[in-house]
Amino acid sequence: MTDLSATSALLLVLWGTLVGLDLVSVPQAMIARPVIAGTVAGWLAGDIEAGLRVGVLFELFALDVLPVGAVRYPDYGPATVAAVALAADSPWEFSLGLSAALGLALAVLGGFSLQLVRRANARAIQHRTAALAAGESSAIRQLQYGSLARDAVRGAALTLLGLACAWGLARYAWLDRSTALGLTLVAVGCALSAVIGGALRGAGRGPRLRWLGAGALVGLLTAALR
Amino acid sequence: MNGGWQAWLRLFAVQGTWNYERMLGVGIGYAAEPLLEDLKTVDPVRHTEAVVRSAEFFNCHPNLAGLAVGATARAEYDGAPGAQIARLRTALCSPLGALGDQFFWAGLVPLLVGGTLIAAVLGVRWWAVFGFLALYNLARVATGVWALRTGLDAGMRVGSAIAQSWLSRATERVGPAAGFVVGAAIPLVGAWYLEPIGWPAAFGAVAVAATGVAVTRWFGASLTTVRFTLLALVLLVLFRWVLP
Repeated sequence: MTDLSATSALLLVLWGTLVGLDLVSVPQAMIARPVIAGTVAGWLAGDIEAGLRVGVLFELFALDVLPVGAVRYPDYGPATVAAVALAADSPWEFSLGLSAALGLALAVLGGFSLQLVRRANARAIQHRTAALAAGESSAIRQLQYGSLARDAVRGAALTLLGLACAWGLARYAWLDRSTALGLTLVAVGCALSAVIGGALRGAGRGPRLRWLGAGALVGLLTAALR
Repeated sequence: MNGGWQAWLRLFAVQGTWNYERMLGVGIGYAAEPLLEDLKTVDPVRHTEAVVRSAEFFNCHPNLAGLAVGATARAEYDGAPGAQIARLRTALCSPLGALGDQFFWAGLVPLLVGGTLIAAVLGVRWWAVFGFLALYNLARVATGVWALRTGLDAGMRVGSAIAQSWLSRATERVGPAAGFVVGAAIPLVGAWYLEPIGWPAAFGAVAVAATGVAVTRWFGASLTTVRFTLLALVLLVLFRWVLP
């Protein structure tokens, strides 16, 4: 991680806030997908390659998530932004593992913070029950804007915390090259296990499983021929 | 009835007030507000009742919420009994949730993400990012416009409008395509990471992947892949610390 300029850090926090909002609240344009969040964060931090390497890694984890109903899941958006900041301007083979550790811990924390926001939304609604029962449109609008503000603060706080941790790790967590490479290999292996596990679960035993197998065969052949 | 475009724009924030009690309810009320505005001058009492109903418990896939918003707003203007509108809302929750989850979360999103990963590792970087955002948002915006229009046109008959629509057929087709593309992406992404490191070391990563799949399937929800990964990373650091 290079010492980020104040402008870059500010832009990363702004980007982390936007991707934090995008996950659930608004506009769900998929900028919260790690591959998008990571690439743009890499560009903002001045290292697109690092952004892509981290973004693709977290995307493999995110493909294991099916956000249906009230299911609880990690928030990979701000986590990816912070992990990219840590990995920027270092050889990815040695920085990816530590960045993955930071990002995954933040993603879990992000998932937890999402529950807090949802509970705070419920409490706000309970306070406004009488106004909602009276059909006051202004109460609906105020609840909506209040909830969006809460989620924006959540995304900003998560990104700020992530950047602070990234700065601390870059400064104080010294790893020898073999340990750093080992962490990268473990992170890549685990990410592959996440996407394979998720794909198998999603495919079930029907025709989708056959299509998954056919795709894997084509992918293997293409990788071998490159 | 005016306010269609405003309602469509507000649907982008339909999950803004998501919570475990009313779920999408308040967001639906927020999106429905511009549509119900004209009712205020025609029948103020009905308008108040409609606003109350619009913000009650509701849950569905956010990209198909327009069907519910449009259909219930139309039903309010058509003077359908309140209890019947409440039943319509309840009846729409499960099918709109299931169809949307199958089409978007289990189909279109993995399909486009898989394609983006393939394009990114093959060297098409920014185009992959822009292509993903453009294709997804095109599909999402078109679906949103269609959903709101269909809901507004059909009213209480929205169920049969959904059954006759493209959605079920598209859901059947997008799932296998997503499976194929994600299947193709896995080895390509794996090779993209592991080839530069060297294949002997890569076998270690493949062994970790195989162990991860087996262990997380064995333990189920108690050991997610994220927990497994954090555990493996911490164990590796501890191991290297004890045996440098």
